[in-house]
Amino acid sequence: MSFKKRTITALGALAIIGASALVLSGCSSASTPAPSASSTDPAAMTGTVRILMEDVPDSDIVKSLIPEFNKVYPHVTVSIEKLVYDQMRDKLVASFQAPTPSYDLIVVDNSWMTDFVDAGFLQPADARIKATPNYDPADFFTSLTDITKVNKVRYGVPFYNYALGYIYNSDIIKPSEVPTTLDGLVKLSQKITTPTMAGLAMQPQTGYKIMEEWTNFLYSAGGSIYTGTGKANLDTPEARTALNKYIELYKTAAPKNSLNWAFDDAFRSVSSGGSAAMVSYNWNLAALNKPGSGPYAGKFKLAPMPGGKSALGSWTWSVPTNSGSPDASWAFASWLTSKAIDVKRVVAGGAAIRASTMKDPAVLADAYGADYYSTVTKILSNAAPLTEGANGDEMIQSVGEQLNNAVAGTKSVSDALKAANDAIKTIQKR
Amino acid sequence: MKYEHKLLTPLLAVFAVAVGFPLLYSFWLGFTDYKLVNSGATKFVGLQNYISVLSDGAYWSSFATTTAYVLLSVSLELIIGLSIALALQKQKWVKDLTRSVLLAPMFITPIAVGLMFRFFLNDQLGAIPNFLKQLGLSYDFFGPGRALISLAFIDVWQWTPFMILLLLAGLESIPKQPLEAARVDGANSWYSFRRITLPMLSPVLVVAILLRGLDALKVFEYVFATTRGGPGTETKTIQFLAYQTGITYFRLSEASAMAFILLVVVLAIIVILFRNLEKASTR
Repeated sequence: MSFKKRTITALGALAIIGASALVLSGCSSASTPAPSASSTDPAAMTGTVRILMEDVPDSDIVKSLIPEFNKVYPHVTVSIEKLVYDQMRDKLVASFQAPTPSYDLIVVDNSWMTDFVDAGFLQPADARIKATPNYDPADFFTSLTDITKVNKVRYGVPFYNYALGYIYNSDIIKPSEVPTTLDGLVKLSQKITTPTMAGLAMQPQTGYKIMEEWTNFLYSAGGSIYTGTGKANLDTPEARTALNKYIELYKTAAPKNSLNWAFDDAFRSVSSGGSAAMVSYNWNLAALNKPGSGPYAGKFKLAPMPGGKSALGSWTWSVPTNSGSPDASWAFASWLTSKAIDVKRVVAGGAAIRASTMKDPAVLADAYGADYYSTVTKILSNAAPLTEGANGDEMIQSVGEQLNNAVAGTKSVSDALKAANDAIKTIQKR
Repeated sequence: MKYEHKLLTPLLAVFAVAVGFPLLYSFWLGFTDYKLVNSGATKFVGLQNYISVLSDGAYWSSFATTTAYVLLSVSLELIIGLSIALALQKQKWVKDLTRSVLLAPMFITPIAVGLMFRFFLNDQLGAIPNFLKQLGLSYDFFGPGRALISLAFIDVWQWTPFMILLLLAGLESIPKQPLEAARVDGANSWYSFRRITLPMLSPVLVVAILLRGLDALKVFEYVFATTRGGPGTETKTIQFLAYQTGITYFRLSEASAMAFILLVVVLAIIVILFRNLEKASTR
């Protein structure tokens, strides 16, 4: 064999090995626990609570409350690991199945809840909630506690709301002009659009983002994702109206060439004065109004979505089935979500979960102001999640792809919604 | 056992643990119903995942998207890389500085490059659309029919330096005598390039194309950072689809089948390519 031939053969072998490694690099029954005796005596409770949370300011607020928790529970150690959202679920699933878990207490996104429960990863929380004195679980917003339930069993308690509202620049839009109907939203957004400022910074990126934003339009048009019996309900006149209005807004009042925009693009646009409004999480108001954050800081206000009903996401505190210290974990979660501590967390900038917190004088006097809390109360009182049942992420992604196809013009509105409806049916059968 | 075979043992042992086990395990997963959120025992399902993937239009659509991406990006990298390598070969001054500056994009992590371009190409805040606006132009970089081209250009920006590096090394290893002889015989530059340089460079060219092609097949980060597979599913590449199926939707067994089907196709291409090269070298 010549040197050249041998070199080529060797390179071929190396390439095959490399190809194998490169191509494959892309892959690579719960029972209700009874609280132990020590859980009734905070001073006697011991344990370590390892928590995985999203890397957002709210996690820092929770972290800042740990010293106060340790005044009540001196022998419980709480440590918080923070990760960006996209990495959280993989770490959680690995911990659930590991012989020695990495986390004792977790936060669960609403689209993961049924999958985690079906797999037996989470402990039911009913007995613990019932056994916790002065906890008042009925004070949580129903829209949030509904997300914690699978087959009428609670698997945690609310931690954080991701309810969406209409955030607008009050220098451009007077509070009296805030639209109350979908048609009103389209007309107002078109009216205030100028060559330098869009009427509405939209988030039509394929998958999750467009699904989250458009669901608000669907609710405004009187539609719903599911029927009362949980069947797919997107091939309807209401859904077609909502998608047609969404596309009209994108073409006439959104920033140009923003088909791949997600939350951060829209946020920057509104903050920098490139757009007058956006549909976003209610608590974004704090960041937009933060002094020095942009030319319109302090001018942003929140309103419920036109039509009054909003899409809702949430984080839920849950104790994994394989938690190393379930009693201590519940002690921390229940302490943090108790009425008194919830007030402190919300005053520090946390997202609201309890109705009573919205009426607390300390909360009403904070930087957000009473108007904000009144609006958030309205939003949370009439909100519904993006998904119900198992395979939530797949359903959101699949519907979002079809919606984006319609906005991009690669599918008609009717075809896209029919395909989205069929996708939900297929996913529900899995 | 011969001495040279004994010397190979540590490498083979590491290879078996680091590559062999994950490879065999993921191959096994492809024949099961394993889900990341399985509560019961994993069942053997035979070829079910392979049949499901092979009959899935979404898989072949992603396959076509990935193929288009690889062909576009690697072709451009080859043309631009070879042109720059030829120019650099002739450069006389500040050679080291020029080469190190040209290689810089290669050292940035791809996810950072994806995010960087997402902002560069943002119509309201990005430098490139702003420059185009000053020229009276508007271009939707991530619009239908354009997003995949934009992603390929991001790949070209980051990985053309790699092509330059390989081709420059190849060019500098070509003996000077045949070129000088051709010049003495009156051959012009284009003739010398076509009939002497390119044939002598062909083994390096094949390896460069193969390495870049395999790397481009892995494209995930740019998609994740910029389009998330959109518009619709226009930029949903195989790796992104496998990630969604295996990690986001928990169906790891199906994702494994996807990866192995791709592997078989890629291996077939490599084998054909090298057989042709061997035949050409023996002629």
